[in-house]
Amino acid sequence: MLQTILALMKKEFYQVIRDRNMLGLIFLMPMIQLLVLGYAINTDVKKIQTAVYDFDRSSLSREYIKAKTAGDYFIISSDNPPVLDAERGFKENRYSAALIIPNDFSEKFIEKKPVDVGLLLDGSNANSASITSGYAEMIAMQFNRRQLDIPEPIVMRQQMLFNPESESVYFMVPGIVAVLITMITAILTSMAIVREREIGTLEQLMVTPITVPALIAGKTIPFAILGFLEMSIALLFGVLWFGIPFAGSWTLLYGLTFIYLFTTLGVGLFISTISKTQQQAMFYAWFFSIFAILTSGFFSPIANMPEMVQHLTYLNPLRYYMIIVRGIMMKGASVDALYPEIIAMVIFGIIIFTSSWLRYSKRVS
Amino acid sequence: MPDAVTIEKLTKKFGDFTAVDQISLTVGEGEVFGFLGANGAGKTTAIRMLCGLLLPTSGNGTVGGFDIYRDNEKIKKSIGYMSQKFSLYGDLTAYENLWFYGSVYQLKKKVIKDRINQLSEELGLKEFLHRQAEKLPLGWRQRLALAASVLHRPKILFLDEPTGGVDPIFRRRFWEMLYELADKGTTLFVTTHYMDEAEYCHRISIMHHGRIIELGNPSDLIQKYQQPNLEELFVQLISNRSREAADV
Ligand SMILES: Nc1ncnc2c1ncn2[C@@H]1O[C@H](COP(=O)(O)OP(=O)(O)OP(=O)(O)O)[C@@H](O)[C@H]1O
Ligand SMILES: [Mg+2]
Repeated sequence: MLQTILALMKKEFYQVIRDRNMLGLIFLMPMIQLLVLGYAINTDVKKIQTAVYDFDRSSLSREYIKAKTAGDYFIISSDNPPVLDAERGFKENRYSAALIIPNDFSEKFIEKKPVDVGLLLDGSNANSASITSGYAEMIAMQFNRRQLDIPEPIVMRQQMLFNPESESVYFMVPGIVAVLITMITAILTSMAIVREREIGTLEQLMVTPITVPALIAGKTIPFAILGFLEMSIALLFGVLWFGIPFAGSWTLLYGLTFIYLFTTLGVGLFISTISKTQQQAMFYAWFFSIFAILTSGFFSPIANMPEMVQHLTYLNPLRYYMIIVRGIMMKGASVDALYPEIIAMVIFGIIIFTSSWLRYSKRVS
Repeated sequence: MPDAVTIEKLTKKFGDFTAVDQISLTVGEGEVFGFLGANGAGKTTAIRMLCGLLLPTSGNGTVGGFDIYRDNEKIKKSIGYMSQKFSLYGDLTAYENLWFYGSVYQLKKKVIKDRINQLSEELGLKEFLHRQAEKLPLGWRQRLALAASVLHRPKILFLDEPTGGVDPIFRRRFWEMLYELADKGTTLFVTTHYMDEAEYCHRISIMHHGRIIELGNPSDLIQKYQQPNLEELFVQLISNRSREAADV
């Protein structure tokens, strides 16, 4: 049994090493995903291009503008349209905010009368628009306080735990690790088995005394190992390149990943029993991956999803693994904090892996 | 002489279509049995049932004394199967392929090594051992496939068109190797479309539309139908049958 499994594993590794496409998929995919997703999906709202229309042109209004742009948040766009034509500027993506200071700004301010300052925002990205308006309000309040010496009854002191600079890459990289391991193991396992069916070697194996457990072990262990390799590459890259902190226990992360792999390898096995061609297997595996990623909370929080979709996410094993990876890496979470997710993952793993296994035994005869 | 293969009214239907229709035959131990028939006659389907790859629709059969329904796993230990389609790993070398199958049959490392040496010597595969299987010329690929199917020394060897597409010199040499195996006591169950090869067989059966229409020793059959050779016999039998079918 052991000899057979080892022979299968060795064979599988030879095949991977000799297949350029496969090698590319395995080693370039994590790099590209990390670079693209790590940089492009930047949910931080900073450096907002802002058009400024100062109709007051007083020293006070200039000071107000300076206060606005003091932080890293607002950047004055130099080429404002001559007329108040913000819509066009938004459409052309030249800026996403416009600040309008009325001509009686300093006059009213000095008399301590209420004064309206306008802020036009590009609402097409609702999320960043609301964050921008929050910044603007905060800066206006600070300006009031400083200029007018208003006593402050309540002072809110905020501090973020776990990700003090609110770097979205710290949040994305653990997510990418989870996504990668899901895709690689499900896709490779299903395709490797279907390829053998296509070229006829599976039939050749079926006339040997090989047992179903040995066949399944020999066909899944190599991809589990590749999954771990993939994960390690992504983690190293994340830590060394993006400088993300790793708060928790590496052992725990790898241990729980081992449990998670039963689900993705199980899905891969299942797909191999319903696909006739490698293309079909690839398609099913992508479909599964996309569903799993979209309902995992990778891009947007599950709490923001429609209620029906929220219920659906409980059926997604990646949902639990996502919480685990982020929890361990960002918050240093331990088993007591994660046990509901761990239990869910174990249950999923057992159900998916054994049911695919049983389907397999049937097809052999 | 105990029987290596017995088949009784073995039938396989794919939906409404009957690919193998109640065939019965026995093959003795150590016999070289030619399983002939035109394209689509049902030869491969019958062999797949005997090897445990396909469940029969009805009928009975034993291979090496084991029942094809119940003792599937025992059968697998005692047979070798060389399929019609080349089905080794093209991206592995000849050596790696042989090593892989040796390990799957759980032979000891030393045994695998010795047998690879011996077989590659006998089959003239030595210089090709470290080439990728898909890059071998067709004839050598067939020899490699033969080597892989006999590495574990099966008692019964099923060969489904082992010489398809191979040149006459290679075919002659291939059959010499088969005869060497038969001399050592291996039962051979061979399909072929080459009638010169069929003449090497102890007995042959001729299949047509899923049924066995003739069975016997090649020279007896030639005499019975008074034909100059097997080729003529085969053509006559098949075309007669087709004409009868058309008349009905
Ligand atoms: N899985 C299957 N489903 C449906 N029909 C099948 C299946 N396998 C084989 N057949 C049909 O059964 C018939 C017999 O096929 P088989 O491969 O056994 O013929 P064969 O005698 O081996 O022919 P050849 O000499 O071309 O190899 C053919 O008509 C084939 O199309
Ligand atoms: Mg055939």
